[in-house]
Amino acid sequence: MIGNRSPVVQLGIRTATPLAVLVGFYLFFAGHNAPGGGFAAGLVFGAVVTLRTIAGLQRPTHAIPLLSAGIFIVIAVAAAPLLWGDTVLDQAIGSIEVPVLGKLKSGSALPFDLGVTAIVVALVLALLDGLGVGAITTSEHERRRESTETSP
Amino acid sequence: MSADDLASGSILWTLLVLHLLAVPLSAWVARFDHRAGLGVAAIAPALTAIWASVLLIDSTNPFVTELMWVEGLDVGVRFRADAIALLMTLLVSGIGTLVLVYAMGYFSTSSAQMPRMTAALLAFSTSMLGLVLADSIWTLFIFWEFTSITSFLLVGHKDVDASVRDAARRALMITGAGGLSLLAGLLILGAESGTTSLTDLAPIDGGRAWVAALLILGGVATKSAQVPFHVWLPGAMKAPTPVSAYLHSATMVKAGVLLLAITGPAFTDVTTWKVVGLALGISSMLWGGITSLRHQDAKLILAWGTISQLGLLVTLLSVGTAKATFAAISILFAHAIFKAALFAVVGEIDIRTGTRDIRELGGLSRTMPIATAVAVVSGLSMAGVPPLLGFAAKEAAVEAALKLSGTDALIVSTSIIVGSVITVAYTTRFLLGTFGAGPDTTVAPRRPAMTIATTVLGLGSIVGYIAINAVNGIVGPAAVEINAKADVYSLYRWPGITTAFLVSAAIVAVGVALGLFILRRVDQPAPGARGADLVDHGLDRFLAWAPQPIARIQHGSLPVYLATMGLVALTATIPFVREVDTDSLVLWDNAFQGALAVAIIGAAAAGAFVNSRLGAALTLGAVGLGVTGLFVVHGAPDLALTQLLVETIIVVGFVLGLGHLGRSFPSAHATWKGVRVGVSVLCGVGVMFGLAASASNPSGTPPIEQLAEAAVEEGGGNNIVNVILTDLRALDTLGEVVVLAVVALGILALANTSDTEATT
Repeated sequence: MIGNRSPVVQLGIRTATPLAVLVGFYLFFAGHNAPGGGFAAGLVFGAVVTLRTIAGLQRPTHAIPLLSAGIFIVIAVAAAPLLWGDTVLDQAIGSIEVPVLGKLKSGSALPFDLGVTAIVVALVLALLDGLGVGAITTSEHERRRESTETSP
Repeated sequence: MSADDLASGSILWTLLVLHLLAVPLSAWVARFDHRAGLGVAAIAPALTAIWASVLLIDSTNPFVTELMWVEGLDVGVRFRADAIALLMTLLVSGIGTLVLVYAMGYFSTSSAQMPRMTAALLAFSTSMLGLVLADSIWTLFIFWEFTSITSFLLVGHKDVDASVRDAARRALMITGAGGLSLLAGLLILGAESGTTSLTDLAPIDGGRAWVAALLILGGVATKSAQVPFHVWLPGAMKAPTPVSAYLHSATMVKAGVLLLAITGPAFTDVTTWKVVGLALGISSMLWGGITSLRHQDAKLILAWGTISQLGLLVTLLSVGTAKATFAAISILFAHAIFKAALFAVVGEIDIRTGTRDIRELGGLSRTMPIATAVAVVSGLSMAGVPPLLGFAAKEAAVEAALKLSGTDALIVSTSIIVGSVITVAYTTRFLLGTFGAGPDTTVAPRRPAMTIATTVLGLGSIVGYIAINAVNGIVGPAAVEINAKADVYSLYRWPGITTAFLVSAAIVAVGVALGLFILRRVDQPAPGARGADLVDHGLDRFLAWAPQPIARIQHGSLPVYLATMGLVALTATIPFVREVDTDSLVLWDNAFQGALAVAIIGAAAAGAFVNSRLGAALTLGAVGLGVTGLFVVHGAPDLALTQLLVETIIVVGFVLGLGHLGRSFPSAHATWKGVRVGVSVLCGVGVMFGLAASASNPSGTPPIEQLAEAAVEEGGGNNIVNVILTDLRALDTLGEVVVLAVVALGILALANTSDTEATT
């Protein structure tokens, strides 16, 4: 991996990670009224995961639980309105008063988008697995960190 | 609670949900104790049977309940509880309950397969319930297929035995093929009669009606084991007896007959329907009866007898007169009761003596008195001897046969009479062979659960005769649902000395004589399963041959796959070429677009000829960024954002991949390279034509106004694009993310198998 050869890339990606995650969250929540949305957020998170893989950093590994959770969420959101006699995917909208932030308005599209995000990220994880780029486990990560710290 | 309260959709849905919840629950309980598991499974069918009988006795008005999914396409689940549906519900759930009780005795040990068996039995019961209550062609078809699948699981219970697996596969293949035929037939029927409702079907005629009739009869004949599709049914006797008694005599094989009855009114003007139906019915009735006379295995005697009886039902329904329809429904009801009882007795004999061969059985009337009594009562009911329910039903059939007039009357009525003689003959042989004299068989102790269930089923034939008015109250309205003119008929305890009665008496006399004559010939060899072998052989040959064409189509070359897909997709754009309105085309709205287009085309062309992998990645990135630029110029920030993010992740992916691959592409033959470039250019041009055509043919005004309004009001968001994705057209998004999820699963599966395959 490049990260092993280039500490600059590794450090850069490590630094960029929280910022990119923040952007992902922004896109996720902004989606309803501005450009963004669950798919876009999923792509940002996916890119973060891939970059961290390239740099040899830790990353989430569980594609299948994430995939299952995503499918469960979208289908649950889709089917839930049937329980109270509405059609499939009927939107429910509510708003709550939150201190500091003020009135927050959202609907069942938000969990639906969450499911979309989860599936997109799971697809990226699956692709990484499929390409044979295994994730670095915690223990391996610790060991590498120790070895890089002691070697010079 | 009165019957009117019970006649509601919510009760029906509750019962169905109860079934569905009990499926996993009973399987879980069966892991610890198989009897308790079966007991849990029996609760929902028992409640349903009580519900159906209350509604039948009070003869409430039919009611419809539905769960609509896609309103515009009329796609949803719709049930209609009318007289015939409730009659079938009573059979499905009532016999289902008894079979589950019977199974508590039949399965003595808690084997590892019991959870699957229990769950599959209840799942079958649920599917069958949905099938008989279905009112739309979609609902009917879905539950029809569920019964095929659960039947496959149930037949293949003893999956360690290769012959059992073959039998299960044969049953699935034949009924599955029939299911596809049925789907095609139902689609034509629905389109022609303009409704998806099975009760509103209007009579159709013409060429399409002819095709639909044949296709639906294909479904009927495979499911109800009509000659020549009957070969799966004798094989299915390898299933445990509770399964045979439930699926392959009382309920599932009746699904075809039910379908014939409820779609019949649509085909009253189609001669093919009647002619083919009669041909199927008569040949099954006679061939099933004759083969039944040649078997030594009591269970196979009954199985072939079932084919014969189903043939009689198909014949009567194909005749189509009101009297014949009434007779068919009566026999359907009586047959379910006596045949389930007979199967249950044979299963008990099998369990307690270890054999089902009528030559080896003897002295059972002494050692198994209750089973003998049940078998004799049910057998006589099958033969049509008073004072039993089968007699009353058979009288109706003989009367209907004698009343026929017209050219086909002679053939049909003769066949029904000959079929009845054979029925009496194989019943005589079955009863005397199994329970008559013979070498004394050692008998294991009685199992109460089996005795309870068989006794109740056996009493059914007697109670049905005594309470003939109650039976009329059930059967009569059901027949009227199919043929409105059937309301004048009813079953009689004692019809008096009529012509029909004299004919019946003659049938019984000749039949008994024939049965006694054949019973003497004990050494005749049982017929081989030639038809079944032929099917198995054909399937094996097909499976052996299939890898060759598959290897040719699935050759594993990615460029060839892409080129093939591109060319196929290209054909879809051909109709658009002539639709392009050249006058409406403008060069550009904005000079930036021109500049970006030149850059995109240039980058794409460079990408086609560049040799290094990094160069190709860069040119593709340039194309993507150029397209993003186009979106920005056009004022579509959402598309631009998504495109940019996709480009980003692709670049990251390239970085990941390039580390593992060589610097440049492997050298390819010039011709092949030419083909690839050619296909790519053609695809691009095709997409261009498609877009130009759709832009020059706007159908009506763009819905932007409504969408903008709906986005804020229904979706509660100001970003129309995203509200479309997550709310207004969320069903599309749901479909798309499910595709993504399937792709992810596929990749994971491939990633996991490649290691193991590489080593083998």
